[in-house]
Amino acid sequence: MLPHLTPDELHRYEWQLWVRDFGEEGQRKLKAASVLVSRIGGVGGTVAMQLAAAGVGRLVLAHAGNLRLDDLNRQLLMSTEGIGRPRIEAAEVRLRALNPHVEIETVAENISEANAAELVGRVDLVVGAAPLFTERLLLNREAVRQGKPLVDSSMYDLEGRVTTGNFPCSARWPRPSARSRPWKRSSSSPDSDSRWPVGCYRLTSASCRSALSLSPADPTVRCVAPRTHPTPEFPRPKD
Amino acid sequence: MKLRVEYTAQLRTAAGRPADEIELPSGSSVGELLRHLASHLGDGAAPHLLTSEGHAPRSLLIVINDTAAPAHEAAHRELQPGDTVLLMPPIAGG
Repeated sequence: MLPHLTPDELHRYEWQLWVRDFGEEGQRKLKAASVLVSRIGGVGGTVAMQLAAAGVGRLVLAHAGNLRLDDLNRQLLMSTEGIGRPRIEAAEVRLRALNPHVEIETVAENISEANAAELVGRVDLVVGAAPLFTERLLLNREAVRQGKPLVDSSMYDLEGRVTTGNFPCSARWPRPSARSRPWKRSSSSPDSDSRWPVGCYRLTSASCRSALSLSPADPTVRCVAPRTHPTPEFPRPKD
Repeated sequence: MKLRVEYTAQLRTAAGRPADEIELPSGSSVGELLRHLASHLGDGAAPHLLTSEGHAPRSLLIVINDTAAPAHEAAHRELQPGDTVLLMPPIAGG
């Protein structure tokens, strides 16, 4: 049974209720849905903000550590006064202020062997926005094991990528080599501009099972069809 | 035959440009294209295109005309004149 929308929610989401093929039923499905966002930094924070604004029912946010000054060029859920305090707390405060209808669960940890299964098990959809390959691969493995759709995105300078659907055989996902670029804070450019479209495309591509590649230098958005396995359908709430 | 090769991320940085028009003998494979690029794009690009044993690496995603496959699986695929080949090394920044 899909949840009903209150008069306040109908008013809040009025502009998107007009969207063809979305409407009130789509909004109710969104309210019934839960999403894990792995890391709420430049990319994941933008995803969480968009999901909260759109009215997703429940967000599970996972991110360890305290806010640093050099986070603030891109982590839009944070504020200067929060430097030195947990990022996850600032994110929760901001998202609750943005949309009090969204249920928010916070975990002050990054994805690890110890928590991946439990966190993925809490939600319908998994969003990976971690800066480390180990976390992304772990999240993919767990999403495959539990049959949960995964939306993964990453950035490099001014390039962004979004991959939707998961990869049932981890071998299908290109494995990082020794030369693959890991997260490197010291070289992080003021690239909020690349994270915004990445975050937004994550929202809109969650059901199309494709990989998007976009770059401000080449504004064409590439939609790359995977040659490999089909992915699980997005779980539909029972009417 | 002529091919269009497009670079992303580390390969784009190493190449110093987003794309090249490449001339290869008819019937060339993806593996042969990677070896050609490794010898022409320089030391910064080569490790992303070939393993130390000279094979197509698992770490590289190859997209031929918008259909993707890991490089090590696509290495023997024969390329066609006019193909567009997008090379995507893995990135993880968040």
